[in-house]
Amino acid sequence: MKTLRDIKPGQSGRVIDITGCEDIKQKLYDLGIIPGVKVEVIQDAPFGGPIKLKVHDYCLALRKKEASCILVEEEK
Amino acid sequence: MKEIAVALVGNPNVGKSALLNAISGSDIKVGNWPGVTVEKLEATLTYKDYKIRFIDLPGIYSLRNQSAEEKITIDFLLKERPDVILNVVDATNLRRNLYLTFQLLELEIPMVISLNIWDEAVEKGIIIDYEKMSKLLCCPVVPTSAKNKTGINQLLEKILEIYESKKFVQCEHFESQIEEYLKKVIVLVKEYNPVLLDIYPKRYLAISLLEGSLKDSISPALEESLEKIRNEIKSLYKKDVKTFIVEERYGNVLSVYHQTVKKQQEDVVDSSITLDKIFLHRYLGLPIFLLLVWIVFEITFKVSSPYVEWLDKVLSVVSGWTLSLLSSINTNDLLKSFIAEGVLGGVGFVLTFIPVLFTLYVMIAILEGSGYIARAAFLMDRFFSSIGLSGKSFIPLLLGFGCNVPAVYATKTIENTREKILTTLMIPFMSCGARLTVFAFFVSVFFKNHGGLVIFSLYLIGIITAVIVALLLNKFHFKTQSEFFIMELPPYRLPTFRYILKNAWIRVKSFIVEAGTFIFAMSVLIWFLTNIPYGAKKDETILAKVSQKVAVIFEPLGFGTWEATASLFSGFVAKEVVLSTMGNIYVGEKIEEETKELSFQEGVKEIVVEFVDANINLLKNFMAVFGFVKVESEEEFNKSLADSIRSAFTPASAYSFLVFLLLYTPCLATVFAIKQELNSYKWMFISIAINFSSAWIMSFIVYRILTFYNF
Repeated sequence: MKTLRDIKPGQSGRVIDITGCEDIKQKLYDLGIIPGVKVEVIQDAPFGGPIKLKVHDYCLALRKKEASCILVEEEK
Repeated sequence: MKEIAVALVGNPNVGKSALLNAISGSDIKVGNWPGVTVEKLEATLTYKDYKIRFIDLPGIYSLRNQSAEEKITIDFLLKERPDVILNVVDATNLRRNLYLTFQLLELEIPMVISLNIWDEAVEKGIIIDYEKMSKLLCCPVVPTSAKNKTGINQLLEKILEIYESKKFVQCEHFESQIEEYLKKVIVLVKEYNPVLLDIYPKRYLAISLLEGSLKDSISPALEESLEKIRNEIKSLYKKDVKTFIVEERYGNVLSVYHQTVKKQQEDVVDSSITLDKIFLHRYLGLPIFLLLVWIVFEITFKVSSPYVEWLDKVLSVVSGWTLSLLSSINTNDLLKSFIAEGVLGGVGFVLTFIPVLFTLYVMIAILEGSGYIARAAFLMDRFFSSIGLSGKSFIPLLLGFGCNVPAVYATKTIENTREKILTTLMIPFMSCGARLTVFAFFVSVFFKNHGGLVIFSLYLIGIITAVIVALLLNKFHFKTQSEFFIMELPPYRLPTFRYILKNAWIRVKSFIVEAGTFIFAMSVLIWFLTNIPYGAKKDETILAKVSQKVAVIFEPLGFGTWEATASLFSGFVAKEVVLSTMGNIYVGEKIEEETKELSFQEGVKEIVVEFVDANINLLKNFMAVFGFVKVESEEEFNKSLADSIRSAFTPASAYSFLVFLLLYTPCLATVFAIKQELNSYKWMFISIAINFSSAWIMSFIVYRILTFYNF
């Protein structure tokens, strides 16, 4: 199964589920990242830093570690 | 006159404080919420026959009661029960913003929604049927723009209207099956824990109980029935209750969104995305960031310096006047010295920070208001995550090399409490400009041939110590290595000029009132220590007596003399005065500042002329930032002091002294800034303790190594 970490900048995926600790899950829910939502990876930071996403009408940054908690289905 | 309490609630970056600025005059008060580092803004407005008190609650994404911000908000809303909630919503980002709106409606407090940033929504071709939205949500919705000051009067009218009608209509929004379950929960509460109904609004209570997120203890019988309902929901919808309720709320959000919002063009090219292609570019992002930060640094300190000098001149004119006044009424020398040096000196010390802080707050407002600060965190995150910080710590730490005081105030851009405390405790180790003057003097005496290397090594020791302190605090105090990092990258926006200046002024005012009195009182105290008994020999003042007793603790560091100790005491007040105190103690002459006795007219003339000069210098410095002109630096060198110091220190003990001077408490103003920004005396004392102990340990190590190699 793919996670958001595997999605290359410029591509997007649809959230299937969120794994990992309850805190991260709730925080992502608060920000509108819930199953069924389309997430687009826009850019990544230099030296393996965070990645930039577009969700709904806004942009969000999270570390690669958090990105691997988000299970997605790749969209073309 | 009736009083109405209105709480502003909304997501971060929706322009809440800008809206508060637009609504009210200049009487906004800044403070902190009790016991936490989160900032509190308040303003009172007289409108028609009402006195409306606005309280700006911290920006939050949900009412989950997890983060400090969420706790403050939920506590305030439930315990203080404001008359009206003003829910500030970003009209360009409704799908996320309305999630909080639905949670706020669960609190059953009369509410008005401000569709803020309306101007931008119009620009982007987003059409919102706000009247329909008002019907769907059962509360008034008013389009506003804090930037253009539109919609403010309609907003106030709606607030009065809803206050007078005292009406709260709850539209039932969840799927009917869930609404049935919620009713059932209320029936259960009435049976087992009726007290809860007096404390909490019904709907909020029912949902929290069902989610299991209520912090109060409940009867086992109630818990048992709740668990049963949870299991029913789980088998019915194949989801746990928490997830299910979140999805229900989002379902409502999307339903309102689709019924009221039309975009003229789907997915117009977003300017923020384009700008980020440059500012967050893999290779260009960091160099651009470093360049911008360097400009911020230079402007903060260079733009303010002519005004610092000007205030200094004004003060010397004023003390000239005071002295002539005191002489004319035959005051004795002690009182004269007390007023001229103790009182006016203290005032002068506070004044010197004002231009720096004002410029800093302007810079922060630009960085924050434009949305760039989040980009800085994004770019620097990789480097700071290893010491348990995020990229937001970089700017405050860097400013520390100029002056620690504004650096501490710059931590207001860090929301996470742990990161903010850590960064604040690291700042005093960043060697500031004032310390450099002492280093430069010692280097010219002892290390002429390796000056650059010695100064560089001191800066490096400061940084290394800061990192060690951060790692130790993380390991033993906070006990978390890295928390998660999920941060919004708000769209780039231009903050208004009016907002920037007003914001800076409000904060400087709070510095003058709070830090000013403290610093002033302490400088007066220090004056007493150094001058009493008056006219006594230099080794018989209170300061000298105390230093003679304390000096022994510096023995292992190589400088256990009372003179060195007394210099360190004065350095606790400010590093700027270390050299003059040393001159005073070692040479025995007072390095007096010239105070001319001027007539009133001459004085006023001088103040005006100097002000014009300051503005010219400002322009010069401004150009110097961008490399157009070069500003000459002045160098002061006191020969007799150099001779005395050469015989009082060895190179090893001198270097050890410098390391100590670098690491121990930077100055009183920083100490108080830490208290003010972290809103706690506890952390202030911890900071002082950390500074002293690490200074002692590092100096000890350095001195032992140097003496071992026979320096």
